[in-house]
This record gives sequence, C-alpha cells and structure tokens, in this order.
Amino acid sequence: MNDDNRLSRRGFLGLVTFSLGGLISLIVGIPAISYIVSPARKKVEEINFIPLGAADRVTVGEPTLFRTKITQRAGWIIDERELSYYVLTENNREFVALSNICTHLGCRVRWVADEEKFFCPCHNGVFDKNGAVVSGPPPRPLDRYEVKEENGQLFVAFG
Amino acid sequence: MVSFLSRLDNIAKRLAVWLDERLGWRGVWEAIFLRKLPKVNWAYTLGSATLFVALLQMVTGILLTIYYVPTPDYAYDTVQFITHDVNAGWLIRGLHHYGASALILLSVLHMARVVIYGSYKFPREVTWLSGVFLLLVTFGFGFTGYLLPWDQKAYWATTVGTSIVGIAPGIGDWLLRVLRGGQQLSEVSLARFYGVHVWFLPASLLLLIIIHMYLVIRNGISEIPHKDDQI
Repeated sequence: MNDDNRLSRRGFLGLVTFSLGGLISLIVGIPAISYIVSPARKKVEEINFIPLGAADRVTVGEPTLFRTKITQRAGWIIDERELSYYVLTENNREFVALSNICTHLGCRVRWVADEEKFFCPCHNGVFDKNGAVVSGPPPRPLDRYEVKEENGQLFVAFG
Repeated sequence: MVSFLSRLDNIAKRLAVWLDERLGWRGVWEAIFLRKLPKVNWAYTLGSATLFVALLQMVTGILLTIYYVPTPDYAYDTVQFITHDVNAGWLIRGLHHYGASALILLSVLHMARVVIYGSYKFPREVTWLSGVFLLLVTFGFGFTGYLLPWDQKAYWATTVGTSIVGIAPGIGDWLLRVLRGGQQLSEVSLARFYGVHVWFLPASLLLLIIIHMYLVIRNGISEIPHKDDQI
C-alpha cells in the first residue's frame, strides 16, 4: 500500500483511462447535443414583402381577408404554406395587416361583420377590429404586420 | 478549498458505500474491471477496441434516426440534410460511416488474434461460437446499412448483393423475393432493410454481446501459448 498522496501505477492507469474515456465522451457528446437541438436554432431571415392582392378590395374601416402563399423549407421538404391576413384601412392610404392567428393557442380567428368583432372558435376569444382583446383568454392583441402599397397592389412584411 | 474538496470526496465515498449496500455494484465492478489477467500483449486489446466501436455505432446510429426517413422519396434527401444542414451532422454520419468499416476490420483482426493464440480452445469454444454469430450480425449490419443512403452506389450494390441470394438452387428466387420484399428493389426493400438494421440486428447484437462478455469474464482470457506447452 502506498501513502495517501502517492499515485500507484494502477491508480495512474485508472486515472488515464477515465480521463480518455471522459474526453472521448465529450468529443462525441457535445456535437451530439448540438445535432439534436439543431432545428431549434432560429434562422436569420431578412424581412421580405410578399404580395397580398389588389388594394381596392379593402373596404374602408372593415378588415378584409387576404390569402397568400409562401414556399418554405423546414427540413428536407419544400412546401407551400398558406398565410391569411386581415387588412384594415381607414383612409385607403395607410394599411395594416392583422394576423388571423389567435394569440391564445393559435386557432384561426374570423371577422364577423354584423358584430364588428373577430371571434376565435376554440375558447371564445374576442378581438375588436384593430385586434385589441375584447374578452376571453387571449393574452395580447392580434399580431400586426407592416403593409405597403405599390401600383394598387398590397404587400405584407414577412419574416 | 482543500477542505471543501475533501468534504466532497467524503460525501462521494459515503454515497458509494450507501449504493453498494443496496446494489452490490462493487462486486460487479471488480468482476468486470479488476479481474485477474495473465500477462498478455496489445493484440489482446482488439476485442475491447471492437466493443468500443460497436458502442460508438450504437450512439451515432441512434442519433441518425432522428433525421433519417426510410422511404425512397426522402431517404436520400434526409441523408443530404444530415450531412449539410444539421449541426455536426457530417460528424455523426461520418463516424457511423467510417465506424462501420472499422468495426468489420477490428472484428476480423480480433478473430485472427483468437485463432493465432489458440484462444478458441477448451474451455472457450462457446465464446468462439458466440463470436462467430457476432461476426455474422456485424456483416448483416454492414449489408443492410449500405442500402440506407439510397444513392446510386447503395441501390446497385444491394441489387447485386441480393441477386447473389437468387442463384441459390431451388429456393433462390423465393429467398430473393423475401429479402427484397418483392421481385425488384423498392420502397418495400428500403423499409425492411431499415427495420432489420435498427431493430432486429441491434437486439441480436446486444444479446450476443452480453453472452460473449459473460463468457469472457467467466472463463478468463487465455494465456499466450509457449513453445514447450504440451499440445
């Protein structure tokens, strides 16, 4: 038996084995974690303006639904995704787009003209025409997106 | 600092004792890592090296299944996605790809060592036999895994490889259809090769490794033969 402070041959080899094993585990383990969480990283996308449709479709003071499509690639499939926006204007010069996605749990809201409100079918979230919460569980107003008009066509900021 | 470390050491020791009283892990540890060995040479580490690469293949293989999809429309795309888009995907795939060759190489070298030093003799015949099955399973891994990238090389290599089965007398054509899941190489072939590669073979491998390791530990490893040994 050795003194407590002196490393035996066996102890030394044990230490070397464990250190090498630990090192190899790290060399594989750290990239492995990065590999698993890889899709969670946010892609840096510049803001693009995507075409919505003709500006004269929008009635002044009433949210009007526009549908548009974008091509997206999440992993290995290039797919078209449909996006919907309610476009609102008070003067036919300045437009704003409201997302039709309920801020509560992501269901699609619907504009009911008679009541002048957006209704969410899932948990009775209600928004006014500017997207502010009137009642129900939604925690914040509907998302708003910048809209620009060029030659009578509307474009919405995406990204 | 020193007193903190020694206190930590003390806690670790007490935890080890506490666990040993309940699990008996020290006996297992001693049987596996502190067992008595004859004086041998570096060729005797080939078995451990093989085991290490097998473990690496399990880890990297499991990781690959997160992104790989075994259907003809996406198999190739997902492999490209892993290689070029996923963080460290090139590394994980690379390790699995080259690890496969290393595993075959090490298995065969390990087998050669067993032959050269006569380690397959009494009382280790069953260890040898389990090793033979391990080698067959390893070949199975190599054969099924080769198809999965679903590129030209994979497709035609497997076409050729499965055709060889087809020339067996009598049942050759039937065996070919079983292997391919039909007359031609298709989506059915890819799915079954994948299933065999990630379920059937790993299950067999694990079972065989347990048997093989148990026998190695139970019988001890052989001494290097001397020239004046009685035959």
